Amino acid sequence: MNCHEANDRFDDYLDGRLDAAVQEDFQAHLAGCSSCAGELASIRELRDLAAALPRSLEPSRDLWPGIESRISEAKVVRGRFGRHALLAAAAAVVVVSSVVTAYFVGRSQAVVVTAEPPAAVASGPSEILLASFEGLGVDNYMATRTELLDALEARKHELSADTLNVVMENLLLIDQAMDKIAEALGDDPENEFLMKQLAGAYRRQIDLLQRAVRMPAEV
Amino acid sequence: MGTGISMDVETMATFPVSKPVPPRAVMRVAGIPESREHLVVRAASGDVAAFEELYRENAGRVYLLCLRMCGDPSLAEELAQEAFVRAWQKLGSFRGDSAFSTWLHRVTVNVVLGDRRSTARREARVKPVGDDLPVDLSAPEPSPGQALDLERSIAALPDGARTVFILHDVEGYRHKEIARLTGLAEGTSKAQLHRARKLLRKALTS
Repeated sequence: MNCHEANDRFDDYLDGRLDAAVQEDFQAHLAGCSSCAGELASIRELRDLAAALPRSLEPSRDLWPGIESRISEAKVVRGRFGRHALLAAAAAVVVVSSVVTAYFVGRSQAVVVTAEPPAAVASGPSEILLASFEGLGVDNYMATRTELLDALEARKHELSADTLNVVMENLLLIDQAMDKIAEALGDDPENEFLMKQLAGAYRRQIDLLQRAVRMPAEV
Repeated sequence: MGTGISMDVETMATFPVSKPVPPRAVMRVAGIPESREHLVVRAASGDVAAFEELYRENAGRVYLLCLRMCGDPSLAEELAQEAFVRAWQKLGSFRGDSAFSTWLHRVTVNVVLGDRRSTARREARVKPVGDDLPVDLSAPEPSPGQALDLERSIAALPDGARTVFILHDVEGYRHKEIARLTGLAEGTSKAQLHRARKLLRKALTS
């Protein structure tokens, strides 16, 4: 075994991962090579020092409130078609004026969707929302949405975290808008205006997903 | 190491906006006490209080890993927060093949490495922060002075060398896993480790 080969085996030796024959060669080399022996000792010392460093340090502030806030938002989206979805408190008819502005400029693509009013809701009234899709092709919508989410997931590594966050936030906004509309439809199932708004909202969501899936790779 | 970063299987498995979470009644969580297994199962079922307990247990370790890897306390807090949010979103993909803390650790590494795609942000914010890192005064060896010197020297390493050193020598990952996490070739990981050790020894003896 020469010095190069020995150097390549320092960590395996220290971790006890060399098989017997190689270890014998390695030790024989060390016995006759002060340079490699010194290098090994130095690496051992540094590894021991590194391994003894503290493993935990509390952050200067409690991060939980921010985490809780974000995972609660995620639950709204996750629970969109969940079985335990709750109705939002307000039942007033909400006129959703959604403006989808999507722009993709070079590699600094972004998708901006604003939905007014973007008031948060406690959770998604999934049964009512699903019911409200009757006649609007809910099966097709769900299949398309799932397909696009899968496609987005498959190329997630090609998009920046910022872009994914923007897409996610805007999906959430549209979901919230759909909740409000569906909620209002629960009180007024025959309201054609609301039906059109709902159809428009889910078309916008599909459009957003399609744009995200078609975006050029960023990374 | 900016261009070679790959996403891990867990990250790929779950887009945040998403699909129904699979039932977890049969989830197996090996190697952890019953109470913690129950905690993980409860959290995976959407129990926020259970997840908060997991956060309390692991926040310090996750934060310190983020701090060492990014070198900026406020960014480290953001990344730690993101790691827990990501873990919440991905709990459905946690099969219990390893301890929850090990899985969470891997999620955290991926969050930090993912953040590096935004190179401008990283370069603008990274600075040596040895003084922000802890020194375990109860540890007989190494001495607090040595530990602090090492923390400072680690913080001053170039990104690639720092990442590999932290993952290999501090956290105990092997080159094969580092390669998988970072997208580097194993040979590159070894070369970065060699470089890191050389720089650290020089810094510590100067």
